[in-house]
Amino acid sequence: MDAIRAENLKRDYGDGKGVFDVSFSVPQGEAFGFLGPNGAGKTTVIRHLMGFIRPKGGKCAVCGMDCWEKRELVQGKVGYIPGEISFFDDMTGGEFLKFIGKYRKIGSLSKQKELIDRFELDTKSKIKKMSKGTKQKVGIVSAFMADPEVLILDEPTGGLDPLMQSRFIDLVNEEKSAGKTIFLSSHMFEEVERTCDRIGIIRRGHLVAVDSVHELRKRHIRTYSVQLDSQEEASSFARDFGGSADGCTVKVSSKPSLEEIFMNYYGGEYHD
Amino acid sequence: MINFTLFGREMKGSVKLLAVFAAVLTMYIACIIYLYDPETMEMLDSFTKAMPELMAAVGMTPGAASLLGFMISYLYGFIMLVIPMIFIIIRSISLVAKYVDRGSMVYLVSAPVKRSTIAITQVLSLICGIFILVLYGTVVEIVFAQALFPDQIVISELLSLNLGLFALHIFIGSVCFLCSCAFSDLKLASGFGAGIPILMYIFQMLANMGGSVENFKYLTFFTLFDPEGLVSNEPSALISALVLLIGSLILYAVSVAVFSKKDLHI
Repeated sequence: MDAIRAENLKRDYGDGKGVFDVSFSVPQGEAFGFLGPNGAGKTTVIRHLMGFIRPKGGKCAVCGMDCWEKRELVQGKVGYIPGEISFFDDMTGGEFLKFIGKYRKIGSLSKQKELIDRFELDTKSKIKKMSKGTKQKVGIVSAFMADPEVLILDEPTGGLDPLMQSRFIDLVNEEKSAGKTIFLSSHMFEEVERTCDRIGIIRRGHLVAVDSVHELRKRHIRTYSVQLDSQEEASSFARDFGGSADGCTVKVSSKPSLEEIFMNYYGGEYHD
Repeated sequence: MINFTLFGREMKGSVKLLAVFAAVLTMYIACIIYLYDPETMEMLDSFTKAMPELMAAVGMTPGAASLLGFMISYLYGFIMLVIPMIFIIIRSISLVAKYVDRGSMVYLVSAPVKRSTIAITQVLSLICGIFILVLYGTVVEIVFAQALFPDQIVISELLSLNLGLFALHIFIGSVCFLCSCAFSDLKLASGFGAGIPILMYIFQMLANMGGSVENFKYLTFFTLFDPEGLVSNEPSALISALVLLIGSLILYAVSVAVFSKKDLHI
């Protein structure tokens, strides 16, 4: 059974904004990366998955349950990090996590403790006075502490320093090997590349590509044959540029980062 | 049906505001009851005779012979209406619209808790706050009245008066709460949520001045609160209070439905 499924999801905000006929499915245990620039429709898709808004066309389901009709059952299975984090300002981080634990009726708090330690979260400071990164840590702990089957993460590493980002990537990978399904929206290529099995690229509300990271790379790899004057030159060229030498001929391949692949889809209109 | 964790948080959120408004009520109630004195009454009566429109606008009418009549004239035209009303406006806006506007509503609706449960919990915490404020006012009234003028008021009359007042405030609460649920923008929600009750109160003030503007009483729900009628157990006053209660039930039900069906762009 697919853990997450969207069929012809449609929501038109006018002016070309919104999402149009977005369909994809994420099988259980997979990490799915959802890439696109700001305003492409990532958060709109996620709002549908979370049951915050009703689809104007099409439908979506989590664990086989309709995201709008059965949203309180869906939310029991989902851990969520919102793209724009806002807590109750009057509380401290610890008070907020305690509140969410009780509000969701989470039995065991061992996972919460472990996560607080892992991200070195100071639970005693007021949320109002927290930096963006610290707030993000509170958001991460509150999404993972209920040990949900499905994780929907909307640009989850914003504000985190590189060390915490890599700890977060480790956490996502651990959850994935524990059989959790992960839906990770991002414009950070590295975290998607390091965690996800497949990637969907969204542009102006249209899903322009869904493929495995491997396939995406393969499709965009270009190979060149270069003729060198001598065999010595050829072997050092091959060493320097990661190619393979055959006599005076060297074959080199481009190793595009996800960013370059991404730019191919957007072309010169990246900043639209 | 209700989430006790959320209810606890909201009641805690009301405490500070309740304390402030309770203090204001205490001060006013104490002052007004202390002022009750046949001689001062003559003076106030002369005010109301000299400038009847102005005094009537804030609900002060001449000829309040008994202590309760005196309290109705000088407390139930302004203080007992406006102080709880401000509490209601502030709280109803923060119970829903503020969470939606700030985005922290995300954490309430992304949990396995039905939206209707969230809305009903918020309604209940609002009603509890109103109840505490009106109950506190009643106790203060009884304490000061009995301390300064023993056996001058009939408790059952005061209770039926304040039950009517409670019905009025529950209704004002339902109007504000509906605005809080219907508008996702904090400016619109607080504009309508505060604007409607304040406008209604201004209509009531105009209607009280009598003469050609008396017809404003048909435009305001404050007319359904009839203090003299409640004290003397007039059927029309009791029916009016019942209308307020039923009306508020309908508006609360509509609010819960609106909140459950609305798109939350958070």
